[in-house]
Amino acid sequence: MSLALAVRDVTVELGGRRVLEGVSFEVRRGEFAALLGPNGGGKTTLLRAALGLVPLVSGSIEVLGTGPGAAAAAVGYLPQTKAAGTSLPARAADVIVAARRGAWPLRVGAADRERARELLARVGGERLVDSPLRGLSGGELQRVYLARALARDPALLLLDEPFAGLDERGRAEFLELLSGIAERSELAALLVTHSEAAVRRLADRAVLLDRSLQAWGTPEQVFERETARAAAWSGHDHEASRDARCEDDA
Amino acid sequence: MSDLVELVASPLGQGFMRRALCAGLALGAAGALVGVFVVQRGLGLVADGLAHASFGGLALGLLLGASPERALWVALPFTLLIALGIQQLRRRTSLGGDAATGVFFAVSFAAGVLLLGLRGPRGGPVNLEALLFGSLLAVTPEALAVVLLVSLAVAALLLRIGPKLAYATFDPELARLSGVPVFGLESLLLATTALFVVVGARTVGVVLVAAFVVIPAATAQLLGRTLGTTLVAAVAMSLAGTGLGLVASYHWNVAPGATIILTLGLFFFLALGLGRRR
Repeated sequence: MSLALAVRDVTVELGGRRVLEGVSFEVRRGEFAALLGPNGGGKTTLLRAALGLVPLVSGSIEVLGTGPGAAAAAVGYLPQTKAAGTSLPARAADVIVAARRGAWPLRVGAADRERARELLARVGGERLVDSPLRGLSGGELQRVYLARALARDPALLLLDEPFAGLDERGRAEFLELLSGIAERSELAALLVTHSEAAVRRLADRAVLLDRSLQAWGTPEQVFERETARAAAWSGHDHEASRDARCEDDA
Repeated sequence: MSDLVELVASPLGQGFMRRALCAGLALGAAGALVGVFVVQRGLGLVADGLAHASFGGLALGLLLGASPERALWVALPFTLLIALGIQQLRRRTSLGGDAATGVFFAVSFAAGVLLLGLRGPRGGPVNLEALLFGSLLAVTPEALAVVLLVSLAVAALLLRIGPKLAYATFDPELARLSGVPVFGLESLLLATTALFVVVGARTVGVVLVAAFVVIPAATAQLLGRTLGTTLVAAVAMSLAGTGLGLVASYHWNVAPGATIILTLGLFFFLALGLGRRR
């Protein structure tokens, strides 16, 4: 099976600080992979590097058989922070048409509107097609942006914390949606999330990242490794506090 | 009915009023288009800031020995540099557009005062007011030709790059991924704004040029539901406000800048009320 994403010995620095170091893993075509790890562990940076938005210090990233920037048209991206507060008059259809054209529409014609409606229908947001973005709930916005990510029929989907900011019901609904997308065998996806339930439900494989690669395998293997790491850290803290007490006693 | 026609037509019997109307409509339409894109970027004050900053360039031109008319050719590149400086400051620091504009505006204006002082007595007196504030009623045929040419060029450019510029405003990162040259387009917008305000301010004054950029765009934003309708509404309101304001100024014998701005302001508050009722 060919690769959708190949990350090879990647090191990235931001503002003089090393954010990723020697990271390597692969996502095959048709595979749904999860990217796990603590805040500040480099997950978003890795997605941005895969899109060509962040330069690499060393290593390489291959996206759909080519360099990161060159494959951008075939990659759907759901960013963590979404634009919704600009003063541009933006409706759901405008956002989707803009992603397809690479330019904001002066007006949305009947054919474009129908295509936007179809994409929104795939994510359960058909009724939102003419809605202004301002006034949409977090869950509705998330559906619009997922439809946008699917607008150019991507072969690889990069999803950065899609459950953030959603209430429990919204998270469950969005998980169902992503589950439906995961079943499409031709689409590969890399999902950044802190939700263990989402990983167990959606992911074929998982990557544990904390600046460097900590684990890579099935979700079960990665969660075992994470539990062991957490236990080791808590043991380390326990040892450290005991040593500190001994020093105090001395 | 005939009284109404007479009311509107009588000012146009005068050559200076016809030139004022042509210059006002051209600058109003182009300013409205510029405004839609700069206001969307949170740069509503940039036109005012650049118009004042151009004073530094005019003063530099005078120090170099140019006549007040020819000093415009020094002010233009000077103001372009200021516009690009504002962009760099926003890009490389955490300062917003208003703070970056404010810094350059004040420094350029102060530099202008210093440069005029350095000319010494041999430079002859300079009418600061005439240097800074043009008058819509004093537009010469030559100035009108420049205004029409610049307004047409600004409008044509913005209608061409507008859709990509708007996408870059809404989501710069995704626009960049779609191949939109985000930095280049933003530079072009600021350079276009600089060109518009330098030419406009010398012809009709700083305050009216800044009003042409901000008020119709802000009004249209309250009403428009798409980029296209927002652009059309901004231009339509600017044209109507300029025409009505100019006719009112003729009959009331007051400064046209004031009546035009007040008419545009009236449209804004009407749109605000309408927007709240929707």
